Amino acid sequence: MTSSPGFSAQTLAVLAALCDEPSQWRHGYPLAKQTGLKSGTLYPILIRLADRGLVEACWQDEPEPGRPRRHLYRLTAAGLASATEALASAARPAATKAARTPAVRGAVVGAVGAAT
Amino acid sequence: MKRLNQAAAAARRAATWLLPAGRRDWVAAIWAEAHEAPPGLARLAWRAGGAWTLAREALLPRRLGRATLFAAAAGAAAWAAWPHPAVGHAAVSQFHVIATVLLLAGLPLLSRRFFGPPSPSRAGRSLRVFCFAAILALMPALAVVEAFANLTPARPAYRYVFCIAQGWSSLQGCNGVPGRSTGGPAWAGEIPLLLMTIAYLGVILFLTSRRSQVTRGTLAIGTGTGLLFGVVMYAVAPLGLSNDATDPWLPGSKADPLVALAWILLIGGPAAAAALAARRGRGPGGAALPRNVRIGQGIAAGVLANGTAALFVSALGFGTTALMLRSAWLLRWLHHGHQLTAMAAYHYEISAGAGTNVYLFMLIWFPVIGLFMSALGAACTPLGRPAPRELAPIPGASGNH
Repeated sequence: MTSSPGFSAQTLAVLAALCDEPSQWRHGYPLAKQTGLKSGTLYPILIRLADRGLVEACWQDEPEPGRPRRHLYRLTAAGLASATEALASAARPAATKAARTPAVRGAVVGAVGAAT
Repeated sequence: MKRLNQAAAAARRAATWLLPAGRRDWVAAIWAEAHEAPPGLARLAWRAGGAWTLAREALLPRRLGRATLFAAAAGAAAWAAWPHPAVGHAAVSQFHVIATVLLLAGLPLLSRRFFGPPSPSRAGRSLRVFCFAAILALMPALAVVEAFANLTPARPAYRYVFCIAQGWSSLQGCNGVPGRSTGGPAWAGEIPLLLMTIAYLGVILFLTSRRSQVTRGTLAIGTGTGLLFGVVMYAVAPLGLSNDATDPWLPGSKADPLVALAWILLIGGPAAAAALAARRGRGPGGAALPRNVRIGQGIAAGVLANGTAALFVSALGFGTTALMLRSAWLLRWLHHGHQLTAMAAYHYEISAGAGTNVYLFMLIWFPVIGLFMSALGAACTPLGRPAPRELAPIPGASGNH
């Protein structure tokens, strides 16, 4: 993945994962599985995104029996706008390059469309 | 594995305490999420990532650099201050070194918990560095001066001078063993000294924290006034308030314009700093602050002025005296124009050693005088009309999620 100005490739992966269902609260472990990031990489990214007001976090109201309460994350309105822009600009050079290869054009356009 | 998990959880809880309030939830979140990972290595790896995040948040590289620098400086100061076994009351001196280093290392962590993170302003950072450097410099200087001042001279001819400096009027009662220490620092003196160190560190850490809401302008006014007063005071008393030790280079405590200026700065400095800080104190965006907050800014500036001066002159004065006791060249330079026989040199050295007590007096009473004078100065300052332009915004609270 090409990094966008201000966001690393890993951060873009987290933003893309959170963009899948922007209104849904997400847990850390599934996010880590989806992005392929380890906890030591994922959480510092979430912390920085929360510091910048792009991600909001809260605690689960009712924990599952025998389990501690879990932390939940989702994009804020500003976060969704930033993520959409960053993912689009990250995909643009890739799309331009891929456009020279008709076989993958559709896949790239689909990925950008999903992100935006 | 269960015990390992319990130990890891206990270590995590203890380490989380070092984090700022806004970060603790995140570490708890990683630990809670570990239950989703399959038991065994995967869960352990998840928790290791949590520990890494915790370390990263608690010890950011910049903070790690500062900690390394502090460790090097504290190590050097402790090495220089560590008492020789022949020195009297070595246990008290060793306790002093260890306790001072622990206070310098531990109080900022406690301050972070109770007062929030430090103010990001340059004035705040500089003030903290100055305070830490002064306390570290005082440690070996105090040890050298105390060791010399308590050492009974081997030569009988010097013993009369020594006994006078010790406070005895004659040789009668001055019955130390020649070449051995008469005693040294006692616990009764050590505890107040440590309490004073805690007070200085606590006040500086609080005033330079975000929660205190002391503005950059107030810190700059207080520190600037204090450094000016400190320089004047050092010129008056570079080796304690001892006339014979500082003539003819400096007139010591004789009445002259420099001494008059020192008195003016002692009394008037905090009042002026308080008036200036109270008049110029502004809130975020240049908004006028309530009267009581502006008076608080004034008092902070005044206490800071006299506290900074006391710390500055004590560190330099003790340092100069310690260097003089170790360096014949400095002794000759400071007593330029005197006929420096061996007896006269010893007389100057022991007088200076005994004269350093005045710095401890300054460390206690200067901030108290600063408190009274700044309260008076701030209360008498007309605060009706806000200053025409913003000096500095009040630092905001730390970012929590």
